[in-house]
Amino acid sequence: MTERSRVTRIAMLLIGAVLLVVLPFLVRDQYQLHLAQLIGVYWILIAGLNLVVGYSGQLSVGHVGLLAVGAYAFAIIAGKYDIPPLLALAACGMIGGLCGFLLGLPSLRLPGFYFAMATLAFAVIVTEQSVAQTELTGGGVGLPVPGFNAPFDTPAGLYWLILAVAALITWLSWNVARLMWGRALIGVRDSEVAARSVGISIYRAKLIVFIFSGVTAGLAGGLFSSLQSYITPDTFVFELGLFFFTCIIIGGRGSIIGPFIGTIILTAIPEVVAPLARLGNFFYGFLLLVVVLLTPEGFGRLIQQVLARFSGKVNESKVVAPDPDLLRKALQGARN
Amino acid sequence: MLQAEEVSKRFGGLVALSAVSLDLRPGEVHGLIGPNGSGKTTLLNMISGFYPVDQGTVSLDGVALNTESVAQRAQRGIARTFQKPRLLGPLSVLDNAMLGGWRDVGSSFLATALSMPRAWREERELRERATQMLKGVGMAHALDRPANLLEHAEQRFLEIARGLVGRPRFLLLDEPAGGLTPTEIDHLATVIRVLREAGIGILLVEHHTDFVFRISDRVTALDLGRLVRHGTPDEVRNDAEVIRVYLGA
Amino acid sequence: MLTVIVYGLAIGSVYAATALVYNVMYSTSKVLSVSTGHVPMLGGIFGAFFIGQLNLPIVVGLVLAVAVAALFNYLTDVVAVRRVLARSDEHLWLLSTLAVATMISQTMALWWGTEPKPFPRLFPQDFSQGIADQKYWLPVAAAVICAVGLELFYRRTMYGKLFVATSEDAFAARARGINTDRVRSFSYVLAGALGGIAGFAAGQLTFAYFALGFSLTLNGFIAIAVGGLGSNLGAVIGGLALGMMSSFATYFFGGEYQQTVAIGILMLVLILKPEGLFGSKQVRPV
Repeated sequence: MTERSRVTRIAMLLIGAVLLVVLPFLVRDQYQLHLAQLIGVYWILIAGLNLVVGYSGQLSVGHVGLLAVGAYAFAIIAGKYDIPPLLALAACGMIGGLCGFLLGLPSLRLPGFYFAMATLAFAVIVTEQSVAQTELTGGGVGLPVPGFNAPFDTPAGLYWLILAVAALITWLSWNVARLMWGRALIGVRDSEVAARSVGISIYRAKLIVFIFSGVTAGLAGGLFSSLQSYITPDTFVFELGLFFFTCIIIGGRGSIIGPFIGTIILTAIPEVVAPLARLGNFFYGFLLLVVVLLTPEGFGRLIQQVLARFSGKVNESKVVAPDPDLLRKALQGARN
Repeated sequence: MLQAEEVSKRFGGLVALSAVSLDLRPGEVHGLIGPNGSGKTTLLNMISGFYPVDQGTVSLDGVALNTESVAQRAQRGIARTFQKPRLLGPLSVLDNAMLGGWRDVGSSFLATALSMPRAWREERELRERATQMLKGVGMAHALDRPANLLEHAEQRFLEIARGLVGRPRFLLLDEPAGGLTPTEIDHLATVIRVLREAGIGILLVEHHTDFVFRISDRVTALDLGRLVRHGTPDEVRNDAEVIRVYLGA
Repeated sequence: MLTVIVYGLAIGSVYAATALVYNVMYSTSKVLSVSTGHVPMLGGIFGAFFIGQLNLPIVVGLVLAVAVAALFNYLTDVVAVRRVLARSDEHLWLLSTLAVATMISQTMALWWGTEPKPFPRLFPQDFSQGIADQKYWLPVAAAVICAVGLELFYRRTMYGKLFVATSEDAFAARARGINTDRVRSFSYVLAGALGGIAGFAAGQLTFAYFALGFSLTLNGFIAIAVGGLGSNLGAVIGGLALGMMSSFATYFFGGEYQQTVAIGILMLVLILKPEGLFGSKQVRPV
């Protein structure tokens, strides 16, 4: 990457970060702030799910179940048992991770469609049980959810809490993506044969990433429920799980920024473009189909390719020309 | 020493391999030839762990590997290439090659997520190693190119480079000359010779018998799953049975 | 108690029929479509629409509803499966069929409504018949007809044999000059018709309800996973077993445990015998 483009990138990131921090002062009304909070919460879950779906290629459509677990856990721990909210939130993350482990353990060995159905089944069980276990979850009536303590008890305060958690999760997933683990996960996704041949333990990798996505879903669930201030089983419809999944596919697999933009667009558009609000889920399905048929790598990749066209000459040589001396030296230096 | 002793394999009613033995020593090129269906790739797959062994043992330095997975064997320094290259399309050539060094990545998922210095050190080291290997095998011109835009020959050499990044003790090549021009085969020979000099044990499964005889230290010839002849290239090339098998009855 | 058994058989038949739809589509395309459960859903909704709302004669309503279901499945092939099969990325058809399933589900929700609506009586019968009520026996009859019809089709007709050939080895089939694209399209139409008939017959049991789509996708999948993918016998037995277990679970534990029990069974079978009761193990070559 050239010096100039690196500086540009850092500058853009800084500007973006500043804008995000001062956002509560920029928006016009409560409703827009709420929208930003919602996008933030969704992104916390999606950032983790991105490593599962976009990187390791495991098509989990039922992550809404983990969101629900986190949400109910927060409502119960902070609400019923009166534990300090931040502590409760941390517990939600751990519970989410545990559920991710329990769900992933049997399911990740299954082939693609079977796995997707297993995650769907999980979401269905969570819904069923949140209705059935009335003592714990309030059944169909649901539970009220407490807010956080100062300084997070105002809308702006809650927004900054969400922003902080989102920033942390984004940083964690970004690190994984750009280091060797990121490549390994893409290996798991695109060629298990190649991945195994270089020593990657496929199942273990999938499970670890899935647990991480459980933690982020748990955290997202806790924040989500506090944001909604009242949750019922109906809050966590299966379509929400599809929504998360679609944000990632549309934004582009193998990227962090793509799904982030996908989340913003898919959350905001139905709010901004009124007719689309009614079409809501149909619109997500339609977009998903368009992406799959036209640009399976997602819109992020499409933009990348378009930009690459304009970025100057590309070395077009296709001739393989070994350098034996260099190879000799390289092998010498590297020998066990 | 990497060894297959009396290994056999059936697929349903078909006997793919019958009590075949082969050993591979460091710093030698061992050619494995045979007509289609002779079981060469099956044997390679069994040594690398993609097929389980029905009978017999695959061992490394005397330690039996039969129950170990492909990944576990790769972790021991057994690398391989594939008849049909298995690459990660959207990733660059460099990224693909770096993946070959996975066995030297000690950082856990958590350490990586937390951006620990060790993870970055490993990243830099593997990037350097991969770059050198790629340049060494002849892929300097395409380091940043997405793997799905590579020509066939480039794919093959990328796979070899990937196999090298993990500092393997043994490299199993599955028909690496397939689809290569004579010049490219010469390049392949150059690379293989350097690898041999460096002490890597190379199993060369190949159809291009001339190429195999040219470059191997020892050759094993199979036919219909059985060992036909084993010895130096001259011994094998001049063996009556081998000639019969190759030129037909 | 008798009601529990009869209900189990009836709902099990719907699951069994959905499992058959999975099988027929899988046999020629090696694709498991997320939209599979939506085919019977359409049969039910359009049956209720044509007969209940447009007051068309029952036979006409049946034919039209089945036609709609078959058409939907054909479009699924054209839009979501055909283009995607050409690419080697095996995840893609899961995404495209998921997209199609979402779109049809939402379209029905918007047009038909999100509440389950009643399905008209097909035969004159009052509502006091208990276990002899047609809402139990129609689905069972439909499943039997579908299963038997499918077997006869595979064994006795030329086209059926083409199916079997294509499903066992598509490459070889193409080499013999069989137009696998055409066979696949036809198989999707056939599967659509089967699903439509089953959904239509089950309408009085399940009501005409858009949410049936994903529900049947899941339950039909459980049936086929338990019974063994590729086996029609497995599909029927898996479906009936699932229906019975769900019914008993509801009876003993209450309705809120229905899906949990069903999924529990699935996980148990998948852990013990991953290829299902009647399925075959597949060796994956490198």
